[in-house]
Amino acid sequence: MQSPIKHPAVKIIFYAILLIWAVSVLYPLLWTLLDALKNNQQFLSKAPWALPDVPLLWSNFSYVWEKYSFSSYFLNSIIVTAGSVLLGLLLSASTAYVLARYKFKGSNALYLLYIASMMVPFVLALIPLFFLMNSLHLINTKIGLIFVYTSSVLAFGIFVLVGFFRSLPKDLEEAAVVDGASHFGTFFRVMLPLSQPGLITVAIVNVLNIWNEYIMGTILVNDPAQYTLPVEIGVMQAEMQYRTEWGPLFAALLITIIPVLVMYIFFQRQIANGITAGAVK
Amino acid sequence: MKRGTASFSRNIFIAAFTLPTLLFFCLFTIWPVVQALYYSLFDWSGMAQHKTFIGFDNFVDMFKDPIVWRAIGNDYFLVAGKIVGIMLLATFFAVALTRFNFKLAGFFRSIFFIPNVISVVVVGVLWNFIYNPQIGFLNGFLSLFTKEQVTIAWLGFPSHTIWMLLPPAIWAGIGFYMILLIAAIQNIPSSYFEAADMEGAGQWRQFRSITLPLIWEQMKVSILNIMMTTLNGSFVIVWLMTEGGPDNSTQVMGSYLYQMAFRQYHFGFGAAIGVLILVLSLITTIVLQRIMRQETIEMI
Repeated sequence: MQSPIKHPAVKIIFYAILLIWAVSVLYPLLWTLLDALKNNQQFLSKAPWALPDVPLLWSNFSYVWEKYSFSSYFLNSIIVTAGSVLLGLLLSASTAYVLARYKFKGSNALYLLYIASMMVPFVLALIPLFFLMNSLHLINTKIGLIFVYTSSVLAFGIFVLVGFFRSLPKDLEEAAVVDGASHFGTFFRVMLPLSQPGLITVAIVNVLNIWNEYIMGTILVNDPAQYTLPVEIGVMQAEMQYRTEWGPLFAALLITIIPVLVMYIFFQRQIANGITAGAVK
Repeated sequence: MKRGTASFSRNIFIAAFTLPTLLFFCLFTIWPVVQALYYSLFDWSGMAQHKTFIGFDNFVDMFKDPIVWRAIGNDYFLVAGKIVGIMLLATFFAVALTRFNFKLAGFFRSIFFIPNVISVVVVGVLWNFIYNPQIGFLNGFLSLFTKEQVTIAWLGFPSHTIWMLLPPAIWAGIGFYMILLIAAIQNIPSSYFEAADMEGAGQWRQFRSITLPLIWEQMKVSILNIMMTTLNGSFVIVWLMTEGGPDNSTQVMGSYLYQMAFRQYHFGFGAAIGVLILVLSLITTIVLQRIMRQETIEMI
């Protein structure tokens, strides 16, 4: 089906470019791992790509995990991510289902409102959001972050899931209604299980985004006990001006990256689906 | 009567399934946006009692502030640099990984997307270390070719520092657009390429006459998306890597908003910068769409 490249020289150039880019992606990650196992003396006396000395300093990991309280930031990140992904899924799936299957006054306007909001720069809302959360006493709380993150993923979820619900055959629903199922029953027992692939796609993309979110976390949380991982990474980098703990910082970066990397390895297809579904407007 | 209850329960269902979402969305997304427009008309240090209505004075001050102009220039520099860098590479990778029989195409594709799953804060910190004059591997690499140890402070030259922000932004952005374009290319019926093959059209010709026109819609979406996300979000990487410095040389609108509001407590002025970002991204969207529409006509 595909036409092979005729000139070997062209092929080699193409391969070379692909390889160079692959190295430029992978090497910084490998470098992060190697540096996470070094002490300051090794940083200063050896070339940047020198392998770490044996014994490897795995203690950098336990050091950030315990002394820097990464165990609790990790837990905070998990709670906030899980909470907002689940709440976001519930709210976007319910609205998406109604928008896909029911005609009512204003249903079109409602859909447009969600879609149009994707065009508004969120940086605009940063300042008012801070004061809103302050007046609701939701600053420095996980529940506050969960609410803001949930709201931030609604439009994307609704957009993708409306498309998904519309693609499902109507017969099944009609059969459920004939069997006497209520609107709620039809949704929870028939449509929700059927839409699992769509829900998983939305959930995965949202997990990545929320786990990695930095700026709202920084503005809405200033109590170290409530930090998420990205917020602490930012703080830790700023502190590096006063104390140099490069090894632990690299270990901290890895602790933040590894969960999403593992997730990416398992759910590549869903992530690609989410991207293509979300970008086709 | 029976019809009445049926439509009643239908309405209850619709309300139960739309109102909670809408309430959430209005409170945490719509309301803050509306509030931002309102705040931009005040001189306000963040304490309720000091909020004074000043009309459009924030906007007047904003346009008199040379840093704002510099920030706008930097924003558009990043927009242009990212559009060129990302689109060239992402298109190249998408074509190379779909149209040529490369072994390992799946492997490359998986690898190239990895930077997109990494948090922007990690990207920023990581690249800070790549650029680090003492322990960074950029200097380490250059030192291989020189007698003396290279100790360039890559982020330390006001006239060029903004350039240094492009590589991390492009590095972190390519995978997403590559996936989009790969999907677009895979949607092209393979019979088109087969026919071209039979007519003896080479790869370059096929790219120009088949692939490019048929993925142009996706490319337009990508270009608009790069523009919007850059005007909207590039300040995070700026803030992490240079804090807008040295000497405001890398300030972008978003980082200046952040600095004005959350460091210097000029919340009204910060909100006005937010409005500026909104207006500029709307105008740029319209202008870009105009330009790219003409482009399509020329190509066909």
